[in-house]
Amino acid sequence: MPSDPTILAFDTSAAHCAAALLSGGRIVAATAEEMGRGQAERLMPMIEEMLAGAGFAWRDLDAVAVGIGPGNFTGIRISVAAARGLALGLGVPAIGVSTLEAQAEGMARPCLSLADARRGMTYALVLGEDGPPVMTDAPDALRPEMPRAPMADPATLAPAMARIAAARLALGAPLPRPAPLYFRSADAAPPKDPAPVILP
Amino acid sequence: MSEPVTILGLESSCDDTAAAIVRHCDGAAPEILSSVVLGQTDLHEAFGGVVPEIAARAHTEKLDLCVEQALADANVTLDQLDAIAVTAGPGLIGGVLAGVMLAKGLAAGTGLPLIGVNHLAGHALTPRLTDGASFPYLMLLVSGGHSQFLIAHGIDDFTRLGGTIDDAPGEAFDKTAKLLALPQPGGPSVEAEAKSGDPTRFSLPRPLLDRPGCDMSFSGLKTALLRERDRLVEAHGGLRVQDRADLCAGFQAAVTDVLAEKSRRALSEYIASNPFDPVFAVAGGVSANMQIRAALETVSKEFGARFLAPPLALCTDNAAMIAWAGIERLRAGLTDDMTLAARPRWPLDQQSPAMLGSGKKGAKA
Ligand SMILES: Nc1ncnc2c1ncn2[C@@H]1O[C@H](COP(=O)(O)OP(=O)(O)OP(=O)(O)O)[C@@H](O)[C@H]1O
Repeated sequence: MPSDPTILAFDTSAAHCAAALLSGGRIVAATAEEMGRGQAERLMPMIEEMLAGAGFAWRDLDAVAVGIGPGNFTGIRISVAAARGLALGLGVPAIGVSTLEAQAEGMARPCLSLADARRGMTYALVLGEDGPPVMTDAPDALRPEMPRAPMADPATLAPAMARIAAARLALGAPLPRPAPLYFRSADAAPPKDPAPVILP
Repeated sequence: MSEPVTILGLESSCDDTAAAIVRHCDGAAPEILSSVVLGQTDLHEAFGGVVPEIAARAHTEKLDLCVEQALADANVTLDQLDAIAVTAGPGLIGGVLAGVMLAKGLAAGTGLPLIGVNHLAGHALTPRLTDGASFPYLMLLVSGGHSQFLIAHGIDDFTRLGGTIDDAPGEAFDKTAKLLALPQPGGPSVEAEAKSGDPTRFSLPRPLLDRPGCDMSFSGLKTALLRERDRLVEAHGGLRVQDRADLCAGFQAAVTDVLAEKSRRALSEYIASNPFDPVFAVAGGVSANMQIRAALETVSKEFGARFLAPPLALCTDNAAMIAWAGIERLRAGLTDDMTLAARPRWPLDQQSPAMLGSGKKGAKA
């Protein structure tokens, strides 16, 4: 891995397609499009346009960073699957970065990062401490003394993800394959009608 | 003779995550270098059917592992491939999306062409992979999600003669197993149980048999079976083992009769078009059923058509059929770009009217 790796980051965890390119230690391209649907069709062409505009090609990438949510399950999977395919195709690592980490990028630690989890719930992560992210219905009661990260903005999300991935690469820690951050288990109920009793 | 073509195929439209590598030299038989299928039966077991969100989650985290396994098994590296083919529908959209996006990533990273394949075309072109069947041939697709008769005229040219208007037969086998406290998947367990049963004891309906055409219906059969079961449970305080075997035998006989009679009609329509080398091919998990297979073979003989039933591993969902369909498309110059969409519905035959109903499980078209 070069000391200043070229890293592509992208995210479709909400109603947008966002991407950024980090090279030579700075963001050399970034793009974000608001999009309610159609991310699966738009994501790769949008990245190709962005790369070409900055004079880069897919094979120039040293690593891929991808948003793993929390957010829209389908949207997260669109990017995570693409990132895992891209990493395999290029033979480079893929690095999953959560929205909670990305929106707090550059802030002094410790700080609190929150995201809407719908149905009256909020996702929360304390950065600078070791605990896992949680889902809560009372975010205001959570560490009121701490500064809070601003809510994610599609335009800054992907650049932050690229920088976080670069920092993780520099640490040389193991890089597990990116996996979506779901928090909720799949909505599924066991069948209603019980099977009959079987007699000999 | 042209250069050999080697393609990676990906499949994730229902509850199997699959990757395969197929190589073909023009004029020779295609070679399946590897075919990896990771099932999810255990993940869905507690819910009595495939849960789309659970399937999508599993596909997303298993597909790349599956590809690596297929490459290793085939002893092939990515740079030895000529294209990436992927199921782009029809099917459970979450899984199809995961496959399509993984394939786009792979194609971008390797610079290889991307080919979106219709899952049903994968099944329907399998007789060319396994037996070199030439067009036009008649195809019966009977699986957990599909039931239709197709005449394959070309790789992109299919006529649907008829199909189920509600459940697919595999789905009916699965529901029957559930109603009778037999394990999933229902097909094999109902078939095993039927062996010790009397198919004539219960007279179950043969829906739509009295109507012309090749359309089928299986949901009324399931309802009739449920009624018989409830009657027996009421009378005896539970379901006796022999009653259950007789119900299974009766159910299987009804499905067999419907498929055989509708095949007869499809064959007579097909044979009337004077095909050069008449072939009747089956695909889909239900074609593993020995009684059904035997009945279809008999009907095929009546019409002098060669009966083709690919090996079971190529009848059920797999990625070798997707890789093969990819080879056929690549040879025809049909590739896709990075805007390739994942489609929940995608009928093979764009002309014939869409089917009326749709079952609960898996892909519909
Ligand atoms: N011996 C058998 N007899 C009857 N049905 C069987 C038998 N073996 C398997 N099946 C049925 O086949 C179905 C699985 O087949 P397959 O994998 O082709 O279908 P699927 O997963 O629903 O995929 P598709 O998306 O192609 O419809 C199940 O419904 C199963 O019960």
